[in-house]
Amino acid sequence: MKILLAPLLALSVVAGPALAEEKKLVVITSFPKDLTSVFEAAFEKKHPGLDVEMLNKKTTAGVKYIQETTANNTSDLFWASAPDAFEVLKGDGLLQKYDVKTTGIPEVVGSYPINDPDGTYMGFAAAGYGIMWNERYIKAKKLPVPADWSDLEQPVYHGHIGMSAPSRSGTTHLTVETLLQGEGWDKGWATWKTIAGNFKTVTERSFGVPDGVNSGQFGYGIVIDFFAFSSKASGFPVDFIYPKVTTLVPANIGIVKNAPNAVMAAEFVEFLLSNEGQELLLDPKIMRLPVRPDIYAQAPDGFPNPFKDSSIGSAVTFDVVKSKDRYNLVNSLFDVMITYRLEDLRAAVKAIQDAEAAQAGKDNAEAQQLIDEAKALVAKTPIDEATSLDKDFAAIFKKKRKKASDKIEGRQAEVEQQWDAMVQANYAKAVELANKAESM
Amino acid sequence: MTNSIPGSWGTRSAALLIFAFLLLFLVIPVSKVIFVAFQDPHSGSFTLINFVDFFNTQLFRESFLNSLYVASMSVILASIFAIPLAYFTTRFNFGGAVIIQTLGVIPLIMPPFVGAVAMQLLFGDNGSINLLLDEHFGFTIPFMQGLNGVILVESIHYFPFILINLSAALDNIDRAMEESAQNLGSYGVRLFRRIVFPLAMPGYIAGAALVFLKVFDDLGTPLLLNVNNMLAPQAYLRISSIGISDPMGYVISVILVLFSLVALWTSMLALKGRDYSTVQKGGGGLMKRDLRPWEKLGSYFVIFLILFLVLSPHIGLVLLSFGTIWSFSVLPDAYTVAHYAEVFSNDSSVRYITNTLLYAGLAAFIDVIIGTAIAYLVFRTGIKGRKVLDYMATAALAVPGVVLGIGFLRTFHEFQVPLIDKPLASWWVIIVIALAIRRLPYALRACMAALQQVSIALEEAAQNVGATRFRTVHKVVIPLMAGGILAGFITSFATAAVELSATIMLTSTEADAPLAYGIYIFMQSAAGRGPGAALGIIAVIIVGLGTYLSHKVIEHYKHAHATASNEGGQP
Amino acid sequence: MTITASDIQSVSVDIEDLHLSFGDTKVLEGVNLSIPAGEFFAFLGPSGSGKSTLLRAIAGFGPRPRGSIRIGGVDIVDLPPWRRDVGMVFQSYALWPHMTVEKNVAFGLVERKLDRREIKQRVGEALELVGLTELANRRPNQLSGGQQQRVALARTVVIRPKVLLLDEPLSNLDANLRVQMRRDILNLQQQLKLTTIFVTHDQEEANTTSSRMAVLDKGVIQQVGTPVELYDTPANRFVAEFLGHANIIDGVLHKTEKGFEFIGDNGLHSSLDRTSGNETGRGMLIFRPQNAHFGTKPPEETELYSGVVEYQEFLGSSRRFAVNINGKHVLIETPHTSGDPNFCIGEQVSFYLDRENVFFLNA
Repeated sequence: MKILLAPLLALSVVAGPALAEEKKLVVITSFPKDLTSVFEAAFEKKHPGLDVEMLNKKTTAGVKYIQETTANNTSDLFWASAPDAFEVLKGDGLLQKYDVKTTGIPEVVGSYPINDPDGTYMGFAAAGYGIMWNERYIKAKKLPVPADWSDLEQPVYHGHIGMSAPSRSGTTHLTVETLLQGEGWDKGWATWKTIAGNFKTVTERSFGVPDGVNSGQFGYGIVIDFFAFSSKASGFPVDFIYPKVTTLVPANIGIVKNAPNAVMAAEFVEFLLSNEGQELLLDPKIMRLPVRPDIYAQAPDGFPNPFKDSSIGSAVTFDVVKSKDRYNLVNSLFDVMITYRLEDLRAAVKAIQDAEAAQAGKDNAEAQQLIDEAKALVAKTPIDEATSLDKDFAAIFKKKRKKASDKIEGRQAEVEQQWDAMVQANYAKAVELANKAESM
Repeated sequence: MTNSIPGSWGTRSAALLIFAFLLLFLVIPVSKVIFVAFQDPHSGSFTLINFVDFFNTQLFRESFLNSLYVASMSVILASIFAIPLAYFTTRFNFGGAVIIQTLGVIPLIMPPFVGAVAMQLLFGDNGSINLLLDEHFGFTIPFMQGLNGVILVESIHYFPFILINLSAALDNIDRAMEESAQNLGSYGVRLFRRIVFPLAMPGYIAGAALVFLKVFDDLGTPLLLNVNNMLAPQAYLRISSIGISDPMGYVISVILVLFSLVALWTSMLALKGRDYSTVQKGGGGLMKRDLRPWEKLGSYFVIFLILFLVLSPHIGLVLLSFGTIWSFSVLPDAYTVAHYAEVFSNDSSVRYITNTLLYAGLAAFIDVIIGTAIAYLVFRTGIKGRKVLDYMATAALAVPGVVLGIGFLRTFHEFQVPLIDKPLASWWVIIVIALAIRRLPYALRACMAALQQVSIALEEAAQNVGATRFRTVHKVVIPLMAGGILAGFITSFATAAVELSATIMLTSTEADAPLAYGIYIFMQSAAGRGPGAALGIIAVIIVGLGTYLSHKVIEHYKHAHATASNEGGQP
Repeated sequence: MTITASDIQSVSVDIEDLHLSFGDTKVLEGVNLSIPAGEFFAFLGPSGSGKSTLLRAIAGFGPRPRGSIRIGGVDIVDLPPWRRDVGMVFQSYALWPHMTVEKNVAFGLVERKLDRREIKQRVGEALELVGLTELANRRPNQLSGGQQQRVALARTVVIRPKVLLLDEPLSNLDANLRVQMRRDILNLQQQLKLTTIFVTHDQEEANTTSSRMAVLDKGVIQQVGTPVELYDTPANRFVAEFLGHANIIDGVLHKTEKGFEFIGDNGLHSSLDRTSGNETGRGMLIFRPQNAHFGTKPPEETELYSGVVEYQEFLGSSRRFAVNINGKHVLIETPHTSGDPNFCIGEQVSFYLDRENVFFLNA
């Protein structure tokens, strides 16, 4: 053991981690190094002697980190995509209100407000969900290029699509919610479930989707735009489109309450929103949509401009309040109906697709009726929209008891078990009906 | 085997010290997080209703069965990989046995994210092998589909636990045990099945139990393969979602811990009352048998086949690190060293490496010390509650890294470390402690198996000639356990070097970040895949080199030992 | 007692020009040995002499030797251990801890795929033979050393081996048990008429058990013969020194009119009348301590020597003196009876040699 100890001790001298520094700005971020390093370098250049520490954590881990360390806070900024993560911090009173000095940034991008109305976090770039695909994959398998969400419902896409779960990724959640608002609760879920019936997988991380498309694990991915742009810029044989119904969502930054270096934190925010900072977003490795409309003049050809092209992200007027109220409920519902029962759902959708193919052109009313019934069973949602917006019901999924006197009826596990039982039975029944229809 | 001596002042204080360490750094932080499992969501009062919900939920019951199935199948598959490697390298004269043993440990060092990407690129539905199969034979094999994929990846990943422990056990068997069986007419598979394997059972069980528990509790692999219907991912998904505090995640954590303890207890029962210790360690010569040419050829074939399979993630990783674009093709489009250049041009990379060596090394060092101490307390003293230490330490296996990480933040953030004026939770030492706690079970099992094979007679002999208990441990027990302790050190070190889930919670400045964190940062973007893989390869090489050197050291030690004893014994 | 000699076909063991090395180290060199059927034969030698290696080579363990080992006329050098039918009892007994005594003993029979009834019967007989019937269901670690030894023996003889090999079987037992076990092994061997080879470093063990033995040193057989032959007429200095105490005096042998005269380098000279095999030239004079006698009146034509007593040891049945004669010790042993001579250290003494038992070996 002595032999092993010696180099360790030697190492501890060499690697002795840095001591506290005088001028330091600590940024908790979920953004990739490709993005953060560009801003870090530029900002440090502007403020010689300042050390910007980019502490990269998954969004969820970052939120927990700030929550758990609040008593002895060492972080200055929280910098991440998902507005909901900021909402959580804001709800816990962990963000500092800040009035942006710089001007020239519009109120909304697409139909989503850029800044938090309460001023605790600011949007600095927009991002929208769309469909990304692998050119080699679709060429080898002779698959079409989709134009809209509804295309993904076609049987030809069966087993070729990947998506992240909304409970895992805030932006994915917004995509799900956008469609639910755009198409209506029931129709929206029906669309999602039919698309999900064509899923290859539901990934745990949001980056798992572009990763899967890049490596050819599956052909199509429902991804946030910059993942596709930066993949393409890195040389992967991939491409991307925005479907009609999408929401542009701002990626945000907020100052942490009791920030040790609040002055520099504010400076950083201003820098991010300035012309200079916004231009950096067009770096090929970053490729995010700036929130300053005038920056688009410098963008490469074909780069989407949501401030000009009204087709991007403006088809739906996004109801933020509605989204917030049923946030956890929608996630839970998606997981119960899709993520955890993907096998069953896929089997049901496949059976229906096969039945339809078998009956195509046959005009068998009875079979058609069975197919319709099967479809209805797959589409069926355990709760209706009114229930989803019932605050008492949604509270089961929030369960942040602020006061000891707060009472919540029902437990999430109990409710989920009821949903699960119903969903499973419906999928099984749908397979049965579809098989019957197919053999007619 | 238990000495009825009630433990001296020294052993008792050692036991207390370990107990305090585990209490402070495992029990308290974890309890601070999982108490939610026992809280009534309505009123906040104590309840078991959440556990009722667990068993009433079909998804959880299914997940439980899936986890059980995957863990059992992984043990079987891992045994199929490990047993031939361990047996061939310990029983026959074999060129490159040390290299084979080292390569056999490499799979444990599966860097986060990149390992799974590499596996998908090779074995996925559109991975190299299936693309080739499809092109030439028109069919594909769903290696990575659902639970199959988890079983394949887990058994490749964790089979070294069996390999290492089994090899150590095989090395410790008195060769006369096998020779007497051969002498009585037994050979080949029957000899292995009836004599060799049963005698190596403590080592095998130690390894197999680790594989079982680890797979049962592992969430990384199922998550990366997007398999949700297992217990650990269910716990994780519910714990780590933003803004929710669904108690079920913590309920599942508690159930994981309890089940792990039950499984461990069962494995102990299976070994109870068996004295496997070898009076004559190395007696009858450390001789290995020569193989006939055709036997040698066959063995090499089997070994290479296994090595190829278990190293395929790393082969994939190498390709990934040198490849330009690798997308829906059998091999990357072209090759480049740019990814390595990028890694090395980055100042952080060197720091990641030194930090990793420091953290993993210290953690593994702490682990073998505590592991040896607990093993000794359990097997050689009659101290009351000594088993509790074992159970406590092993329970760490079932604590998800994220739970431990949150627990540490919650418990130690308000504690200022004197002199450096920093919260303990953001001091780099906390990462070492977290790693030590998380990898302690590995080292502990290895140390226990090793001590179980050391005959108490040898210690009594030492005490008989006047050595104190401490000196006996120091001069007799530890040298005899050296192989097992080293096995424990290697497993702890190698796996700590690529741990991410707790470290990512605890890394408070980039200067303190280890390699796994660096890989994570690269793997956040499409352009980072190559450099991430390159960093992964660097991690593997460093840890692999360390393992190889340790093997060399132990071989050298054994050799010197054998020569010394031969001078005084028969050749 | 149903295992008898008739169950076992005694066979001979013939070793011819056997060489064996571990890598570059030669461990056995040119071993030739013939052991007739039914003999109890011992390999005697110090640690590292190659005796165990030779035994293991017969059992088929260790590197493949050059030369031949024939058992019952069949060369077995190329047979693996499990096809040789030579039963070996290991020094550590090598009882398998995971099996009961009964299972241990049954092992070889199970491997031979005998039917269950026969196995049970033969295991029963073997356990009875060694007197352990009652302990059949114990585990090895619940047995004493002597009991373990018996189990190991039973386990080996139950397969009715052609040859029984015993590797230092008594070294792990305490002194009293050793003597008893020695008798038991001998009785068993005689009962079964089993060709037996016994490896030991203890000459008393070899003397008391074997009918003939081979003394090994440095991988070479030094001498083969009955215990008495080896003791009385050792073939070389090593054998002489290894088997009991011997006085060895280097010098030169001359031929005289009457016979021979030895002139030692230390000045001791002695006439010899035993001429057989004696040749003139350099060599050594060898005599056992009990073949020198104190006294001033030697028999006719016998030289009288004098020296100084350096030390003495009391051995129970005898007393041993070291007498310094011109700077070299001569050991002299006298039987101990009450009133035997007792010299003080430093005392000048005279002694003479028993000419019948003094002999010369060429160097």
